[in-house]
Amino acid sequence: MNLTLLIQALIGGFLVGGVYSLIAIGLSLIFGVMKIINFAHGEIMMIAMYITYWLFVLLKIDPIISIIIVAPLIFLLGYCMQRFLVNRIIDAPELIQILLMLGVAIVLTNLALFIWGPDHRMAATRFSLSAIMLGGITIDVSRLIAFGIAIIVSIGVFLFLAKTETGKMIRAAADNRLGAQIVGIKVNRVYAISFGVGSACVGIAGALILPLIPLDPYLGPSYTLTSFIIVILGGMGSLLGAFIGGIIIGVAESLGAVLLVSSLKELVSFSILIVILLFRPQGLFGTRNE
Amino acid sequence: MNRNSIIFLAAVLLFLLLLPLFSSSALIGIFILIFFYAYLGQCWNILSGYVGAVSVGHALFVGIGAYISTKLALVWGLSPWIGMFLGGFCASIIALFIGYLGFRFRVKGVYFFLLTIAFAEVGRLIFLHLDVFGGPVGIFIPFKPSFINFQFKGNNPYYYIAMGMMIFSIIVVRIIEKSNIGLLSVAIREDEDAAQSLGVNSFKCKMILFFISGFMTALGGTFYANYFYYIQPDIVFGLGLSVDIILRPIVGGMGTVFGPVIGSFLMTPLAEFTRNYFAKGGYEGLHMIIYGIILIIVVLFFPRGLAPSFQRMYRSFKKNISKS
Amino acid sequence: MEKIRKKHSFLNVKEKSFLIVAGTILLGMALVITGFPGITIAAGPKVIKIGSIQPATGMIAEIGQACRRGNLLAVEDINARGGIKSMGGAKLELLLGDSEGKPPIGRSEAERLIKNGSVCLVGAFMSSVTMAIATLAEQRGVPFVIDIAAADPITQQGYKHVFRNFTKSSVFGRCYADYIKDIIAHSKVPIKRAVLMNIDDLFGTVTAKFTLKALKDKNVPIDIVAHITFPHAAKDISTEVAKAKAAKPDILIPIVRIASSRVLLKELYKQKVKLLGIVAPGCPGFYEPEFFKDMRKLANFIMDSPPWINPKSSMFKEVNARYQKKFNKGPMDTNSAYAYEGVMIIADALERAKSTEPDKIVAALRKTNIKEHITLGGPIVFDKNGDNPNAITGMLQNLNGRTRLVLPREFAEVDYVFPTPNLWER
Repeated sequence: MNLTLLIQALIGGFLVGGVYSLIAIGLSLIFGVMKIINFAHGEIMMIAMYITYWLFVLLKIDPIISIIIVAPLIFLLGYCMQRFLVNRIIDAPELIQILLMLGVAIVLTNLALFIWGPDHRMAATRFSLSAIMLGGITIDVSRLIAFGIAIIVSIGVFLFLAKTETGKMIRAAADNRLGAQIVGIKVNRVYAISFGVGSACVGIAGALILPLIPLDPYLGPSYTLTSFIIVILGGMGSLLGAFIGGIIIGVAESLGAVLLVSSLKELVSFSILIVILLFRPQGLFGTRNE
Repeated sequence: MNRNSIIFLAAVLLFLLLLPLFSSSALIGIFILIFFYAYLGQCWNILSGYVGAVSVGHALFVGIGAYISTKLALVWGLSPWIGMFLGGFCASIIALFIGYLGFRFRVKGVYFFLLTIAFAEVGRLIFLHLDVFGGPVGIFIPFKPSFINFQFKGNNPYYYIAMGMMIFSIIVVRIIEKSNIGLLSVAIREDEDAAQSLGVNSFKCKMILFFISGFMTALGGTFYANYFYYIQPDIVFGLGLSVDIILRPIVGGMGTVFGPVIGSFLMTPLAEFTRNYFAKGGYEGLHMIIYGIILIIVVLFFPRGLAPSFQRMYRSFKKNISKS
Repeated sequence: MEKIRKKHSFLNVKEKSFLIVAGTILLGMALVITGFPGITIAAGPKVIKIGSIQPATGMIAEIGQACRRGNLLAVEDINARGGIKSMGGAKLELLLGDSEGKPPIGRSEAERLIKNGSVCLVGAFMSSVTMAIATLAEQRGVPFVIDIAAADPITQQGYKHVFRNFTKSSVFGRCYADYIKDIIAHSKVPIKRAVLMNIDDLFGTVTAKFTLKALKDKNVPIDIVAHITFPHAAKDISTEVAKAKAAKPDILIPIVRIASSRVLLKELYKQKVKLLGIVAPGCPGFYEPEFFKDMRKLANFIMDSPPWINPKSSMFKEVNARYQKKFNKGPMDTNSAYAYEGVMIIADALERAKSTEPDKIVAALRKTNIKEHITLGGPIVFDKNGDNPNAITGMLQNLNGRTRLVLPREFAEVDYVFPTPNLWER
C-alpha cells in the first residue's frame, strides 16, 4: 500500500464528503421538520443544475455567483411544492407522501428531458479544471469551494433556525406541530418555508457541483439515496450531523475504493446504514424521540 | 347479497378466462403485466399493508427467486416449477433474517423502510460480484418452450399462470385477513404498544407475515425470469423494481384485499396508455410527464388509496337509493 | 342463519359493493385504453410497417434518440427513392416504440408494435432489452434485425428470426488487440504498462473481459499493471484515478459511458496523470460532438475503437449530409449509422422477398449481401447464427476537434499521433 495514495484517498474522500454534506443538509431540514420522505430531492438538485448551466452558457455567469439567483428560484419551487402539493396530504400515511414525491420526481425528470433533451452537459467553468498540487497530492479547487460553502451554508441555516423569528417557528413546528398550532403559528406556512429553505440548500449544492459532474435529467435518484444515508447517519434534523455524516460517507467510500474492489464502494455506505439503523437509529447527533 | 357478489366474481373470472379467445397477443401481454404486478403488490401487501412494516426492498426477493430457480434449471436441469419453491424458501430465510434484525431492534416506520432498501442494495451489489451467477452480465436464459421448462411459445399460458398467481395471492390475503394473525396484525399496525400490552406477540406475528411475503414474492421472480428471458442484478434487485412493486398497492389502497389488484388494473394500463398516445418522436418524455401528473392527482384526491374511497362512494350511493 | 352465512362468505358487504363499482369501471377502462380487442390492420401493399424500439427515454436517452433518428432517416430515404419497388412502390412506415431502457417495457412495446402491424422489428441498443425482444420475436415469428447490441449470447440461442448487423463484444476485443499491436510496433517510445479502468455494468464488464482475453491470446507485449472496476453510477472517481496514477501506466485503457468519460478525463487532468496515450477498446463517450463541446482541447488525441462509419463511402457522405440537415445535429456516429443500416437491411430484404410474410422475409434476410453501406467492414451478410461476420471496429483518434478514423489503414482518413502530449499540455 502506497502512502501517497492513501493520503490522496483520504483528502479526496474528505472533499467529496463536503459536497455530499451540502446536498444532505437540505434533506435533513425537510426530513427533520416535516418527516417527509422527499424522494424528489435529487431531482430538485438536477433542476437547479440546469438553471445554473443555462445561466452560465447564456449569460456567462459563473456558478459560484449564480448561487444568488438559483437559491431564491429553488426556494420558490420548494415553497410552492409544499404549499400546493405536500400540505394537502400532510396527515396521510407516510407512504402516500412518498408516492406523491415520486410523482413529482417523475414529472421533474421528464420535464427536463422534454425541454432540454437527453444530452449530457458539462459546464467548462473557470475552476472546472483547477487543482492544487501539494507534493504528490492533488486538491480539487471546485470541491474545496463546495466544501467551504457547505460550512457557510450550515452555519447560515443554523443561525436562521436559532436566531430569527421564522427559524424559531420552524423549530417549534418540528418539535410539536399541535402545540405550535395552538400558540398561533401558521404551521402550513412554516412548513412551506422550511421546504423552501431545504430546497434552496440543495439548489446551492447543485450550482456548486455543476463543474464536477456531467448533467443529465436522470442523475437525481442516486443522490437522493446517498443523502438519506447521510441524514440517517448524522441524525434526522441535525445540521451538524448532516455535515459530519457527509464527510464520513465520503471518506468511507473513498477508502473502500482503495482497500476493497472499487465497484464495491457503495457496499460500504449501505453497511454503515444498516449498522446505524440497528444500533443507533437516532443517528450520531440526533436525539431519540419515540 | 352474497349470491350477487359470487355471481359477479364468477362473471369477472369467466370473462378473464375467456379473454384470450378474442383478443390480440399484445393485449394479453398487458394483462399479464397487470396480473404480475397485482400479484407482487399483493405479496407486499401481506407484510406492509397489514402489519405496517413498510418494505421498499421487495425486489430483493424477486431477484433471489429469479436467480435461484434459473440457476438450478440451467445447472441441474431442475424444472422451474420445483426450483421456484426452493427459491421461495431461500427468500423466506432471508426475509426472516432481515425481519429478525429489524423487529428485534424495533426499527420502525421510515427507518424500516430504509433498512429494507439497504438490504436490497446489498443483495444487488453481492450478486453483481458473484461470478457464479454471471455477475453484471446476468443470465441469458435459453428459450426451450415446454411446460416443464416454464417456457411457452404464446402468451396465453403465461396469462393463465399470472392470473392463477394473482387469484392465489388474493385468496391467501383473504385467509390471512380473516385469521387470527390478520386481526392481530391490524391491531399491531394501529398501535403496536397497546397491542403488546394486551399480550399480542407482535414479533412472532410480523415474522410469520414476512416469511409468507418473502416466499410468495420469490415465486414472482421465477415468473419474471421465464417471461423476460434475461435477469441481471441491476434489474431484478434494483430500487426501480421495488418502487414498481409498492406503487400499485399504495394507489389501490394498502391493507385491503383488493387494493393491490385495483391499483394494478389502473396504473399498469395507464403507463401503457400514456406511452401509446404520447410517446411520439420529437416529444420524448411527454408521456412520463403525463403519467407523473396523473399519479400526483390520484394521490392528492385519494390519499388513502382507491379501494377505501370507492367503498365510501358506493355506501353513500346505496344509502341514497334505499332512501328514495 | 343469515348472520352465520355472512360471516363465512368469501366477501363481506363492503368489499362486494366496491368491487362492483370499481371492478367494472377499471376493467372497462383497461380494455378501452389498451385498444380492445386489438384489431389487427392487415398490412396492405401500400404501406409496410416496421417497428423500431429504442431507449428514447430513460438513463441512456441520448443514445436512444440518436438511434431513433437513424431509423427515421433511413425510412425517409427509402420512401424518397420510391419505396419497395418489387411491391408496387409500397411505402415504409416506422412505428416508434420506447423501451425506457427496461426489458419489461421493451417487450411490451414490441408486442404493441407487432399488434399494430409491424412486419419486422428493429432495435434495441441495450443487450438486456434486445434479449427480451429477441425471444419475443422468436415466439411470435416476427423477424428482428438488431441494429445495435453487442452481447455475444443474444445470437447464440439458436433463434431463427434474429439477425444482428452490429459487432459482437468478442470481436471488439480481437480488433482492439490488433490495433494496439500496430501502435506498439510504430511507437518510438516503448509501451509496456497499461491500466484498465472499466465501469461495472454489463457492457463494461464484458468488454473488459474480452479485451484482456484478446490481449493475451494475441500475445500483445503489454502488462496490465492494474485493473480497476468502478460503479457505473459513481458520483466521484478521484480515488480510482489516484489508484491508477499510483500504478504508473504508459497507457490507459478506459471503458466508460458518456457521463463517466468526462469525469474520468477531468480527474486525469487535475491529478496530472502522465500517460503516453488514452486508448479505449470501443466505448461511447469519446467521439460524440457534445464531447468536443464539453472538453474542448482535452478531447484531442484520445483514441477509441468502436464500430464506426466508413468515411470513404460516398453513400455515407450523402446520408450524413441529409442527417445533419434534417436533425441539426453533429455528424453521424456509430449509433445513428448502425440504426440507419438496420432499416436499410430490412428494406433490402423486403425488396427481394416481394412479400411481407415473415418466412419469406427471414429467407431473404438470410441471403442478405449488401456491398455498399455506410459502416466499416466488408459487405453485410449473415452467418447461420444471424451474425454479421464482417462487422468490425475501427481505431479513431480525435485530432483538431474532429474524430478521424486512423485504423485499419484501408479505410483510414489520416495517420495517428502517438505518443500523445500530456492532458495539461494540449
